Amino acid sequence: MTLSDNSRRYAVHAVSLAVAAVFIYAGIDKIRDPLQFADSIAAFAILPAVLINLLAMGLPPFEIASGLLLIGPWTRRVGSLAVAVILVVFMIALSSALLRGLTLDCGCFGVGAPSRPRMWLELALDAVLLSGALFVYLRSISRLVFTSR
Amino acid sequence: MNPAHPPQVRSLASRILRDLVGVAVLAIASLAVGLLMNRRSPDPLPVVYQTPEQRFDAELTTLVAAPPFKIAPAATVTLDDFRSAVDRKSALILDARPSVFFGNGHVPGALNLARDDFAHDYRQLADPLQAAHDKPIIVYCSGGDCHDSKMVANALLSLGFSNVSVFTGGWDAWSAAGLPASTGSGR
Repeated sequence: MTLSDNSRRYAVHAVSLAVAAVFIYAGIDKIRDPLQFADSIAAFAILPAVLINLLAMGLPPFEIASGLLLIGPWTRRVGSLAVAVILVVFMIALSSALLRGLTLDCGCFGVGAPSRPRMWLELALDAVLLSGALFVYLRSISRLVFTSR
Repeated sequence: MNPAHPPQVRSLASRILRDLVGVAVLAIASLAVGLLMNRRSPDPLPVVYQTPEQRFDAELTTLVAAPPFKIAPAATVTLDDFRSAVDRKSALILDARPSVFFGNGHVPGALNLARDDFAHDYRQLADPLQAAHDKPIIVYCSGGDCHDSKMVANALLSLGFSNVSVFTGGWDAWSAAGLPASTGSGR
């Protein structure tokens, strides 16, 4: 194993832990106040009423589980892909709200006042997290596919 | 997958597909856990979402038998009028934001009658509200597009309070003007 391989391995571990920490924190925060989170989802005016509470109940455990899977070396692939998928969904929802001129609290990290600058900031944070999740996923899968003969 | 593709590409596609199946299983399991947790919660969410307005109307029915909630909107006051009322203590000032925001900072002397916990807070504030029944009451929330102050003011008018107005600038305008603030629950 070369130094470069070691560096990449540490980078994958570090990025996985950082993204996992953000997702576990965000999931726990949403579980504490599901009603507030449901209101945040409704503010996007995308989903029908029948799906809003289901998402408010299901998304926090999904975020926590994805974060936990990211920590384990053997579960990291599924965890990072789950995080990437959900981040793409978040980014589409936030971009759509920004394009429609909505000012809302996205509910991404706890309760906050509705604010467009904060929406842009959270979109940027999602982009950073997505690049981290994709880095981990692509490193994990390429190692698996291109080294197993 | 086209058999002409190299084996590594086929293997990569197959791995990604399997991982996506794993993500789908994780999503279904998470939804099941979420439903179970909600069922065990002391305050479970209904299956179909209710807007804050619908929940607010439902809460009001616990305070009055036949809520006549469709009434004329409350009058509004400017920042100068609001500031004067606060300085001279000539009106009861009510903050309609959730208690967490109230705790972080509110107009000095204001009481928290949160829209999202209206029935509870209304009972808690029974004494000061009754004392101010025919006096001016001014309600505010965050400011800008917030509706909480209008909903609370409308509810108070429905409950028989005659002199209720809304400071539409809200907390944003008050704090942007550099005016003094209090913190804590104030209860």
